[in-house]
Amino acid sequence: MGLVTTGLVLIEEHAKRVKPPRMLSVPFNFGNTLGRPNDPEFQHEILRTTFDLLDRQEGPVLESFSPDIAPELFSQGSGVAREESPVVSDPGQEVDLRRPFYERWVQQNDGRTAVGVSTISQTDFKLVIKFLEDFTENEESDTPIRPNQFSVAHFIRYCVDDLKAYYFESKMSEDPELSITQLHEWLWAETALGSLIMRLAERMRSDDNNEVKAVAFGIAR
Amino acid sequence: MPRLEALSEAQRKMLLNWPCPDNDDTPWTTMGKPLSESKVAMVTTSGIHLRKDAPFRSLKGGDTSYRIIPRDSDPADIIQSHTSIGFDRTTSYRDINISFPVDRLEELVQSGYIGELSNNYYSYMGAINDVTGLMEDSGPEVATKLLSEEVDVVLLVPT
Repeated sequence: MGLVTTGLVLIEEHAKRVKPPRMLSVPFNFGNTLGRPNDPEFQHEILRTTFDLLDRQEGPVLESFSPDIAPELFSQGSGVAREESPVVSDPGQEVDLRRPFYERWVQQNDGRTAVGVSTISQTDFKLVIKFLEDFTENEESDTPIRPNQFSVAHFIRYCVDDLKAYYFESKMSEDPELSITQLHEWLWAETALGSLIMRLAERMRSDDNNEVKAVAFGIAR
Repeated sequence: MPRLEALSEAQRKMLLNWPCPDNDDTPWTTMGKPLSESKVAMVTTSGIHLRKDAPFRSLKGGDTSYRIIPRDSDPADIIQSHTSIGFDRTTSYRDINISFPVDRLEELVQSGYIGELSNNYYSYMGAINDVTGLMEDSGPEVATKLLSEEVDVVLLVPT
């Protein structure tokens, strides 16, 4: 007796080395394992192909899902040219401007939102922005809104995760047709938050503290 | 993943040099009964968890801990604290099933394709470059839980 496993793999080269029993290699980008959001039929096709591997009598089994689809790639902050004259230059003001779109997103999605890792309410995001600006510009910085269970470095990462989610969800509500590429380009090229995150990550990478340096990689590059 | 040749030189190099284990062989278990009579669980490496859980951390070598996600969790209670910024998250904002296909599994049970689902699913962080803690502690711990829940088949889903 034992557990029978089957699964999906995004990097075929790694499966060849690890040799798990049964794997279906899919040609999608990281984050998009089941191919297309809100496409149950396509997702079922992928899952059924994965479960079909259970019938094999010997392995390792590593098959490729076809057709081979070229995934949509996206840029990191350093790969996007900033707008010379952004619409809004103050991220605190920008957070307020995005709020109606964000709240509509939450309403349209039955209350589901990716915001929440930092535990700070989105209505207090102006305080978060102020803290991130202070941290970027000063050697030592902390904030009374930081929960005790999080170190300063990790609190920063969770705040950045939440702000990105808040911005992306607000933008998808404002303009549902934007592609993945366009969404990432918008954040890094056009928003004051994108600019702040890039400066923050640079500041953290040059910190003497190893935890702060490690967290910087989870913020921007 | 996109074929590696589609990626930037730096990304391709990073992925090819990733310190994953080089195993010589494969542990093998044959299906003991049809899938339509089996109990299925899901293990994801998308770094998701319940809102009330501690988020995953950015640690040297990676965070090898795991979180339990009860199958009946409201999707609005599930959030993600994956360290990596190397993947797009906007699709999972649109549809949780993109890397945690909970609804699809329920539909496969309703259609009779799968026998039943376990009460709990499990979530790890991805992008772990030292899997020692996973191999020695958190991996066997979750496997023991799955066996005690009488799970037959585990679906593995990365992000």
